[in-house]
Amino acid sequence: MSSRIPLVPENAVPLPSLKANNGLLSWVSSIDHKQIGIMYLIITLIYFLLGGLEALLIRVQLAHPGNDFLTPELYNQLFTMHGTTMIFFVVMPFLIGVGVYLLPLMIGARDMAFPRLNALSFWLFFFGGILLYYSFFTQSGAPDVGWFAYAPLSEKPFSLNKGPTYWALGLLASGIGSVASGLNNVVTILTMRTPGMTMRRIPLFVWMMLVTSLLLVFVIPIITAAFAMMLLDSILGATFFTPAHGGSAILWQHFFWGFGHPEVYILILPAFGIISEVIPVFSRKPIYGYEFVAASTVAIGLLSLGVWAHHMFAVGLGNAANAYFSLASMLIAIPTGVKVLNWVATMWGGRINFATPMLFGTAFIIEFVVGGLTGVAIASVPIDWVVTDSYFIVAHFHYAIFGGSVFAIFAGVYYWFPKFTGRMLSETLGKWHFWLTVIGFNMTFFIQHFLGVMGMPRRTYTYYDMPYWGSMNLISTIGAMILGLSVLIFVWNILVSLRHGRPAGDNPWNAWTLEWATTSPPAVENFELVPPVRGRRPLWDLAHPDMPDEPGAKTV
Amino acid sequence: MENLGGLFNPSSPEMEAMAGLTYYTIALCLVILGIIVIAVAYIIIRYRKKPGDDGEPYQNFGNIKLEIVWTVIPIAMVAVLFLLTCSTMKEVDPPAGDRDPDLVIIGHQWWWEIRYPSSGVSTSNEIHIPAGEKMLVRLESIDVIHDFWVPELGRKIDLVPGHPNYIWLVAGKPGVYLGACAEFCGDQHANMRIRVVAEPEAEFKKWLDGQLAIPRTPTGGIAGEGANLFQTMACMNCHTIRGTAAAARVGPDLTHLADRDTIGAGVLTNTPENLAKWLANPQRYKQGAFMPNMKLSDSEVKSIVAYLEALDEQ
Amino acid sequence: MANNRMLVGFFIASESIFFLMLILAYVNFHGSVTDGPTAVNSLNPVVTGIFSLFLFASSFTIWLAGKSLRNKNHFMLKVWILATIVLGAVFIFGQGLEWSGLLDKNITISRNVFGTTFFTLTGFHGFHVCVGLIMLSLLLGLALAGDFKGPKSDAVECISLYWHFVDGVWVVVFSVIYLWAFL
Ligand code: HEA
Ligand code: HEA
Ligand code: HEC
Ligand code: CUA
Ligand SMILES: [Cu+2]
Repeated sequence: MSSRIPLVPENAVPLPSLKANNGLLSWVSSIDHKQIGIMYLIITLIYFLLGGLEALLIRVQLAHPGNDFLTPELYNQLFTMHGTTMIFFVVMPFLIGVGVYLLPLMIGARDMAFPRLNALSFWLFFFGGILLYYSFFTQSGAPDVGWFAYAPLSEKPFSLNKGPTYWALGLLASGIGSVASGLNNVVTILTMRTPGMTMRRIPLFVWMMLVTSLLLVFVIPIITAAFAMMLLDSILGATFFTPAHGGSAILWQHFFWGFGHPEVYILILPAFGIISEVIPVFSRKPIYGYEFVAASTVAIGLLSLGVWAHHMFAVGLGNAANAYFSLASMLIAIPTGVKVLNWVATMWGGRINFATPMLFGTAFIIEFVVGGLTGVAIASVPIDWVVTDSYFIVAHFHYAIFGGSVFAIFAGVYYWFPKFTGRMLSETLGKWHFWLTVIGFNMTFFIQHFLGVMGMPRRTYTYYDMPYWGSMNLISTIGAMILGLSVLIFVWNILVSLRHGRPAGDNPWNAWTLEWATTSPPAVENFELVPPVRGRRPLWDLAHPDMPDEPGAKTV
Repeated sequence: MENLGGLFNPSSPEMEAMAGLTYYTIALCLVILGIIVIAVAYIIIRYRKKPGDDGEPYQNFGNIKLEIVWTVIPIAMVAVLFLLTCSTMKEVDPPAGDRDPDLVIIGHQWWWEIRYPSSGVSTSNEIHIPAGEKMLVRLESIDVIHDFWVPELGRKIDLVPGHPNYIWLVAGKPGVYLGACAEFCGDQHANMRIRVVAEPEAEFKKWLDGQLAIPRTPTGGIAGEGANLFQTMACMNCHTIRGTAAAARVGPDLTHLADRDTIGAGVLTNTPENLAKWLANPQRYKQGAFMPNMKLSDSEVKSIVAYLEALDEQ
Repeated sequence: MANNRMLVGFFIASESIFFLMLILAYVNFHGSVTDGPTAVNSLNPVVTGIFSLFLFASSFTIWLAGKSLRNKNHFMLKVWILATIVLGAVFIFGQGLEWSGLLDKNITISRNVFGTTFFTLTGFHGFHVCVGLIMLSLLLGLALAGDFKGPKSDAVECISLYWHFVDGVWVVVFSVIYLWAFL
């Protein structure tokens, strides 16, 4: 039929097996979506520790005014690497990795649509990260221009070292990998669903991954183009972003945020997906308003494309533009609110089992709403004029990213770890991890709202000794240490449970989606037999043949 | 209560308007947060699984009316917030027409050049303004992006190379208002601080006249020696002292240095001792700043300090 | 499988955004050059227009190749792929001429924003044409080795989709750079 060398393996041909040839090589050469998913998770955990360590060093430096624990150069390198690592090498690849692991299972497929492309994505991400971190070992040191590398500071003659070049190259490579993941996910979700798994029945996590993947496909090229221009500037002497030679500093900002704002929804939408799986299962109820939760995701995805200049209110774009971007940003509160309220309504009337995944899921709602509400506040132009580039913003986005994405990630890890490994994580350690995280997190970041409105700018290695500033920063630093401890407990829990965890069985949480219909961990071919799919909760339908979800879906 | 600064101490009509909007918005946010926290707390208590709770609860799939309710109410809130936003924005940032700026602020890595175009005065890091008067400020940058921020007086505004911006600067009552550069601009972004000195009209006039005076160059004594050193060492390649051949703009104008409260955009208070320390090794106090360690001997430092202090005494 | 074509479809959509950004950069700086080379004073729309015709023609030949495949005409498939490669190569040759002419006049990527945006945009397009030529050569090789009996082949369809895209980008690029400057 087609060429003798198939561009993609026929689905009938079994994929190379993990059991067949164990050892490191089987990982390096693997094109099994589960193995690749696990590799993503391991690497992102390492990067999380690195990024966290950088954050702790930052916090130590800020513990009191006038500290000289770090030099200004090193401080600047650390917050640049911290932001870049956490966003591009922790949260984003973690969510992609979980997606890669779960999507085929959730839709009843045996692998991604393009297993080799999947491996390529992973290795681009992997080597992108190495390229970025290699900069630490070069003469000129790591990039020190902030995670959005504003031009012209990031270019010659203001950055004569190679840091920003490593930064752009590393992110360029991993960005291309992300586009490939996005493409792979979209095609997988659209074409590989098992019979009966219609688009109105796919789990919400799959919906959110679909929208996220479309965002990856459509917004990463924006920054890819911008990185290319930046590299041409620094290597060939082009003048895109150098005002002294006719270039434009503001153009870089449009490009960066044109990508950067949708990027933060790339970080949060899959997290919403995780929460939309966890909350129903532990409340023992179906998700409230499935259609609305799914549709609001699409709305968020579309709106996110048109709000980027809310990061640029202080640039002087004029009040008409500011007003537009302000309104568009505020509108995102509406679909997001729909989600939040549907989660709350799902819990309402449930019989809630507060195991660790649900603890993180519940806390997620509160912490994320704090971050979301401050987001709406700073979407108001005059408020942003007051707080932009201050610690208030640092507080806003840590509430959104840590309180949002990372809390959801923790929920997801506790929820799916049994599926990934066949063993449960320890509940006792999980509770310790949870409470220390909640305490440490709020202690670190809540107080930063006040520091911000009192006048403390961000990205400063030292600060004025103003009334209370020292003690407030100290509280934040202590909070970060508690958070560090909680992370160590988390890592300890994983290491211990891998060996000694309670065996999980196929479906320890009594959940309803297809990944729980197979063994833990799933066999290479995923399913021996995919259960029939007649509704949104195939395993519920199996267990309750007397009251299946559909047809005649009950809307009360 | 002690003065907490920033939002808690608005000192201009603009800042008051913005603080008011911020308080309203935060209050609204707290109400929303409160509702959600109470709902979740109630759920945790009421709907947690208790011993003996077996079987599944009632399976409820959704309710369209509720969905509409919690879509429409936030829309209304957003509409209100947006209207308040627009009106405050207008109030804070009224159009300037074609008025000439009263003040030009030029960002440098890592200090502020301050110019008064109508009188030709040039100073650095410390902005004198007449209290209660609206000053139109033009902001430019000579190198990278900086951001002008005096929390008690008003909004932030970026200084973008190749893209001049304008704001209004007003201080309701006399006083010293501290600020800082708010856009990351390199190694010493943290030490790029601002002092706004608002004083009554008469005092401001006096200050302006003082700045306009062109000092005589001292000829004898150690101050005279300092003057010579200043012209023969590289100082004059970077600094301006009016009435001498030094007219460069790489570093701050030093003509009336002794009038200023701080050195190096806020790293040291301006006393002769500190000035000597600064000259002996600026890198020690502001690592990475674009004033090199000039490797001056102690006696050279002494004479230059004497010279710089003498400039203002006439 | 429909998979492959869907993948290429989304890939092309993604690439379009990439080119859109390069074009926006060009448009952003259009008219901001006050002295030095600009599109008006340094480009020759007629010569480039003629070379563009080769590229446009190659879209037609790749379409004919696909048609031959559907008709199971293996010989004509090879002929049309070869024709496409030749036409594409002529276009690239024209681009090379244009670039070397500009470089001779010391108009480079670092000269001013016109040079920067012009070389970046045409350079990335040329790079995509070259990638297309490589893929077409692989196709030709496989076809000569006896592959693609028709009536369908994802490989042929996907590569021709990509080739049409490269062509379409040039329509926009040519209009923005050359027609906009000279009309
Ligand atoms: C996961 C990441 C994430 C998420 C989800 C968000 C969500 C939002 N963000 Fe945030 N943001 C960041 C990450 C994120 N942000 C980062 C990293 C930065 C800083 C980058 C940097 O400078 O380094 C940033 C910066 C940032 C700025 C620029 C600040 C500045 O630099 O000056 C703005 C301005 O408008 C903004 C707005 C918003 C808004 C309106 C939302 C909305 O999506 C929030 C919507 C959610 C809710 C509102 C809560 C739930 C809703 C209800 C309960 C309904 C009722 C509510 C109302 C009617 C108000 N964000
Ligand atoms: C996903 C995103 C994410 C996450 C999870 C975090 C997590 C944390 N962040 Fe981060 N942060 C950003 C994204 C994120 N941050 C971004 C984008 C910026 C802006 C950067 C810029 O301005 O350019 C920023 C900036 C930023 C600042 C402002 C710096 C400045 O402006 O000068 C601060 C200061 O407090 C801070 C603190 C923290 C802390 C304490 C954590 C903690 O939650 C971290 C918790 C984790 C740990 C504590 C790890 C524990 C590990 C160990 C204890 C041992 C390690 C051992 C080995 C390596 C073997 N962050
Ligand atoms: C290469 C340029 C350069 C040379 C040479 C130089 N300076 Fe400077 N100087 C600067 C810069 C730049 C600053 C601002 C530093 C900052 O605050 O970041 C500065 C700041 C100062 C200040 C503090 C001014 C203020 O308003 O805070 C004094 C005083 C000063 N220089 C004196 C001297 C003297 C005396 C010499 C010669 C012995 C000298 N400088 C040589 C560039 C230079
Ligand atoms: Cu200037 Cu920061
Ligand atoms: Cu944003």
